[in-house]
Amino acid sequence: MGSPPSKRRLPLLLGHGKNKALRRNGDKKVSLNLTSMIDMFTILLIFLIKSYGVEGQIVTVSDALTLPVSGSDGKMELNLEIVVTKNSVIVDGEPVVYVNEEILAGRDSIPVLVDRLSDHMEYTRRIRGIVDAGKYMEVNIRGDVAIPAILLQRVMSSCAVAGYSRQNLIVIKTEGSGE
Amino acid sequence: MAKPASGRSHGKRREPEINLLPIMNLFCMIIPFLLLSASFLEMSVIEMTLPERIGTTGTDITNLARSEERQLQPEVIMTGERMFLRTVFGTKPVCNVIREERDGKPVNSYDMQALTKALEEFGGKLDREFPTIPVRMVTILVEDDVRYDNIVMVIDVCAEHGFDRPGLQVETYEVIQGRLDSLFPGGD
Repeated sequence: MGSPPSKRRLPLLLGHGKNKALRRNGDKKVSLNLTSMIDMFTILLIFLIKSYGVEGQIVTVSDALTLPVSGSDGKMELNLEIVVTKNSVIVDGEPVVYVNEEILAGRDSIPVLVDRLSDHMEYTRRIRGIVDAGKYMEVNIRGDVAIPAILLQRVMSSCAVAGYSRQNLIVIKTEGSGE
Repeated sequence: MAKPASGRSHGKRREPEINLLPIMNLFCMIIPFLLLSASFLEMSVIEMTLPERIGTTGTDITNLARSEERQLQPEVIMTGERMFLRTVFGTKPVCNVIREERDGKPVNSYDMQALTKALEEFGGKLDREFPTIPVRMVTILVEDDVRYDNIVMVIDVCAEHGFDRPGLQVETYEVIQGRLDSLFPGGD
């Protein structure tokens, strides 16, 4: 009757005890070729470093918000965020206006939104002590692809009335555009 | 025979090996970290100017209205049925609305190739007639219920042709129709 099979017939050729294992097993030299793996990791590393981002705003994925795609290459800056979906207008993560027939029937700015934006501007001025408020008078609007133009215009008008003179529409950059 | 003075054997020479383990360890730490913080969706912004009727001071808008650029800027008119390009050389229909499926839903769409062609034509004419005046502004006049993605597509096409300072104006069907009727008295 033969001896029970050894649990480790092949030498472990990595790490501590490698030489000992080699000696014990004589010519049975089985080694793990790490070169190809290192190659792959290097390529992966370069790709990931290139797509590494430390700046920008966090994008919350939701069914109600699908951003349009554009070839624009304007640089995104950190500003007050307004999300406009078919159901609501969200300022800085807080729902301010619920979209209904009445909202879509109007033409001018939305008073509730103007109040909220004015409060935010006042707060920003006080907290940050901004002398040149113009620098911070920008707002980023993330609109869902399906929102009607009138809703976008009312939001933009509200921003203008509240003092945010520049409105940036946030879009997803198409591949190959810009850089 | 005596051994060499050094006492070293001249038999098999061991090949030098590079220990790849530390670098593998490093990669195993860095790659998950980078994978988590990588941004595969790149965002960009489209800077919009204020709707015409809204002004904080009024001075800027008046100045712009008087500028030559403002007089020469094209206007893309998007209604629920057609798209027009209004320029200093006249107004011409660009395309009719097409019904197409987006995300499984039938939506109104516009022929962007036709707009490209119209803008190319206008750009060429502008360069010939007014070579010293750079025109970057464009007004996009849309009906209330035009979808946002259609507006962005038009902004994109305009930017490709050098009109990269878009302004949005939204009006009712009646207002736009009234304007078009005055441009096309024959009812085109």
